[in-house]
Amino acid sequence: MITLRDVSKTVDSGGRPLTILHPLHLTVPDGQFLAIVGPSGSGKTTLLGLMAGLDAPTTGVIEVGGTDITALDEDRLAVLRGARIGFVFQFFHLVPSLTALENVLVPMELVGRRDARARAVALLAEVGLGDRGHHYPSQLSGGEQQRVAIARALANDPPLILADEPTGNLDGANGRHILDLLLSVRSARQVTLVLVTHDHDIAALADARLTMRDGRPVPELTTAAVGAGQ
Amino acid sequence: MRFVLVMAAREMRASWRRLVFFFLCIALGVGAIVTLRSVIQSVRQVFAGEARGLIGADLLVSSSRPIDGDLAARLEARLRTAGAEMTRTAETATMARAASSASAPARMVELKAVGPRFPYYGRLVLQGGATYTHDLVAGFGALVRPELLAQLGIAVGDRIAVGGRDFTVRGVIEAEPGRRLGAFSLGPRVIVDIADLEQTSLVAFGSRVTHQRLVKTPEAGLVALATALREDAKNSFVRVRSYSDTEGDLGEDFARAENYLSLVGLVVVILGGVGVSSVTRVFVQQKLKSIAILKCLGARAAQVLAIYMAQVLVLGALGSVVGVLIAAGVMAWIPQWLGPAVTAGLDVNYQLTPSAVAQGAGTGLLVSMLFSLVPLLDVRHVKPSRLLRDETAKGGRDWVWWTAAVGVGGSVLALTMWQAGSVRIGGIVAIGFVVVAAVLYLAGVALIASVRPLSAAGWFPLRHAALQLTRPGGQVHLVLLTVGLGTFFILGVRALQQNLVSEVSVDLASDAPDMFLLDIQSDQLTGVLSTLASRRPAGAPAPRTLPVMRARVVGVQGKNLTLDDYEDVRGRGSLAREYTVTYRSHLEANERIVEGVAWDGPSASGEVSIEESLRDRFGIRIGDAIRFDVLGRIVTATVASVRHVDWSDGRAGGFMFVFRPGLLDTAPHGHIAFVRGPEAGADRARLLSDLAGGYPNVSVIDGREMLSALKTVVDNVTLAVTVVGTLVVVSGLMILVGAVAMTKFRRVYEAAILKTLGATRRVIATMLLLEYGVLGVLAGVLGAAGAAALTWALSRFAFDMAYRPIPALWMIGIATTGVVVSVVGVAASWDVLQRKPLATLRAE
Repeated sequence: MITLRDVSKTVDSGGRPLTILHPLHLTVPDGQFLAIVGPSGSGKTTLLGLMAGLDAPTTGVIEVGGTDITALDEDRLAVLRGARIGFVFQFFHLVPSLTALENVLVPMELVGRRDARARAVALLAEVGLGDRGHHYPSQLSGGEQQRVAIARALANDPPLILADEPTGNLDGANGRHILDLLLSVRSARQVTLVLVTHDHDIAALADARLTMRDGRPVPELTTAAVGAGQ
Repeated sequence: MRFVLVMAAREMRASWRRLVFFFLCIALGVGAIVTLRSVIQSVRQVFAGEARGLIGADLLVSSSRPIDGDLAARLEARLRTAGAEMTRTAETATMARAASSASAPARMVELKAVGPRFPYYGRLVLQGGATYTHDLVAGFGALVRPELLAQLGIAVGDRIAVGGRDFTVRGVIEAEPGRRLGAFSLGPRVIVDIADLEQTSLVAFGSRVTHQRLVKTPEAGLVALATALREDAKNSFVRVRSYSDTEGDLGEDFARAENYLSLVGLVVVILGGVGVSSVTRVFVQQKLKSIAILKCLGARAAQVLAIYMAQVLVLGALGSVVGVLIAAGVMAWIPQWLGPAVTAGLDVNYQLTPSAVAQGAGTGLLVSMLFSLVPLLDVRHVKPSRLLRDETAKGGRDWVWWTAAVGVGGSVLALTMWQAGSVRIGGIVAIGFVVVAAVLYLAGVALIASVRPLSAAGWFPLRHAALQLTRPGGQVHLVLLTVGLGTFFILGVRALQQNLVSEVSVDLASDAPDMFLLDIQSDQLTGVLSTLASRRPAGAPAPRTLPVMRARVVGVQGKNLTLDDYEDVRGRGSLAREYTVTYRSHLEANERIVEGVAWDGPSASGEVSIEESLRDRFGIRIGDAIRFDVLGRIVTATVASVRHVDWSDGRAGGFMFVFRPGLLDTAPHGHIAFVRGPEAGADRARLLSDLAGGYPNVSVIDGREMLSALKTVVDNVTLAVTVVGTLVVVSGLMILVGAVAMTKFRRVYEAAILKTLGATRRVIATMLLLEYGVLGVLAGVLGAAGAAALTWALSRFAFDMAYRPIPALWMIGIATTGVVVSVVGVAASWDVLQRKPLATLRAE
């Protein structure tokens, strides 16, 4: 379960404070598929980044699986992410100097898993790239790179997968394949999936929906357990 | 840990190409350190076992006066009790010519006369494998160096005239124990029997002969015997040296040479290190995304730091290995390269020594690590959130950064001291390096700023070339620094060489004397002068002669300095040496009095004028009484004045002590003559021959030969410094190639945009050529300006000679640097010209 209490984010914009996420409460139960939708600049990616501990909130507390991640330093956050959170980005973000297989290996090597290689091969096969493991990211298409990214996100069997516009950089057909892959992974493994998108068709497939605008939830378009903070 | 190593290995697959040039700089420096240390250690090993061979004995007793009378008796008694044996030798410089005709050319030689048991240690190697025995020289036989045979046009079996007697050449010396490599020598060696030497006119009262006793003694009694002999020789002008003194001195000489020379390598390594530091910064900038991804996937900051540090270490280690391989290659070539001339008689086994390899490789590794640490610390500040939105990492200078920076600075200082083998020298070199680097860097910044107006030029390629040079973040300053420094070395030493040689040549070009006659006896003076007059070229000034005698200071009673006997004087180092002194009532043109007053006319009271360095170094003051031993006679003189002597003006010579006439006039003395000899080689040879025939004890130093000897020395030094300068320039060029490789991605992209907008490849090539051409010219200007400043300062303050600017050399230097840098720069940027724009832009 993910719990956000009074979480807000204010950044410095040309010397002036700019609140990109207003105080908010949010609860995501285990196993839920939550879609966060909204136009660009509405604060949805910021919210996702905060849940992953990629960024620290200005106010509030975030608990992931009972751990208060706002109390952790950078290194502890890294360890937590490696073990319990899988992240899929819009721009794939594979390490360019590593092959597809090595990209999938990294999170497992970080926690020192002995079966890392066999498992990485299996994961690549699961996303349909069993024969492309030795290719570098630059030798793969966008859709293929995103499959590698999904395989990498699944590497340590995390209970939580966070996806930031995973189909945003792909054409229609490829986007659909990626989405199907994510959904099948989610149902097969019973993981919590939080997905940021501006595509309402995708959002319609989710268990719950959180619509953001100008850094605040839009209550009438939201079905998630959400509330405004102080 | 496993993760760190595996990741580092994977990253290396892509990163080594971009980093390799910087580590080649490290390799060059490591190669230099290992080679220099190995060569010196190899040579040193040879000497280490053969210190006895160097002096040919366990103990060497030597004096400029015959060892006879009381002293000789005591010496012999000592040797008897110690169970030691002894043989006599003597050395002097004199003239030799072929005995076949009285008009044969004469040459100055270094004559060594040896007793029957010479040498106790070491081997006199003769050409053709003949074994040396005393019989070869006994009965007016002589052994000579091959160059003398060539100079005199004679062969083995012919006779040479030395000191008024004829000797038959019975063999050719290939190597002689104790003859130092590269030591300054007045002429080729001739070895004769000491019994025959006494039959010549060379050993006379006051002649310039070093008398020696070679002593062989059981090792157990060596120290006691040496101490006893020194006690006996107290207050005499006899020196006692044991082979272990020689060993100790040699050891120190070698250690000092090794450490100083290795600093050259260290400078190259540190330049490589500066390159490594700068490239690491750019490298981290390019790896920001990968670092953020790793952190997002769960890598801790320390792990990421370790991944990149491991890459640097591996490359540093590879660089060091390459350096050691370079050194091994050079070492393998050295025997052929140096040729038999230098290594004659020295069986040097040139090979890498473990300690040289360890020091070189250790330095390479340390410098790689130290110089990359600070820029790598920036990876700690890379936030994983940059994967979600573009943000610039703030490279915070926190306490970790400062601690690391201070630690690295301290370590580099310690490294320099370690390599210099001295805290003081290391400190001076480190500070000097920082100052030179800072000055060059600031000058580079100013030069770059000076081309900024070009970025408003109307011509497109020039405008863009200037923009590239002046934009921040490039490696421009670093390239300027290293190439400029190397050019500075090369041009500086060449300018100095030309200044030195032309200074001496100018002296010869006028009607200045170019021959110096030593040891003319009083009764020979008239004859020598008439011989000189008969061969005097038209228009040449008349020869000048000066009365001279050799004297030693044996005591000083002064305000600041009191030395009671010769032992006290000996404690003052060079004050104890034998001085050539003269007397006269006037000052020469190259002298002036800086303290005290000149005397007028003779006086028997005993007054002396000293050269100012005696006052400055030993604290001798006006009014002090100095006791001299002049050929056995003790005289006392009061210091009446202090003189400044312009030593570079050798026309009238220079004397540390000049006496007031009246005291020494009646003492036995010789004369020296300053002569302007004939220009033509044949006339000169005839004059030398006449002098050697008529006055065999008179030594003639030919200024022209000395000049060519000096030229050779200067040329060798110039060559050595040029090699260093070239190494530095090459490291600068490698940094340039590396810098181009680092920024190639950006360049290719920019060129693609320009090409799309209508720029032809020709325009882009012109742009690159101008950019690197301007960079090279700026580096050349920097080096030339530094060289001009160095030459000026050294001419004025160190050599005390006129400074001659050499604009042609500066121009050639600047032009060459410009061409070399632009060619290397454009060649390294070949891809920028060749890539098709569409492919590049699509990839972006």
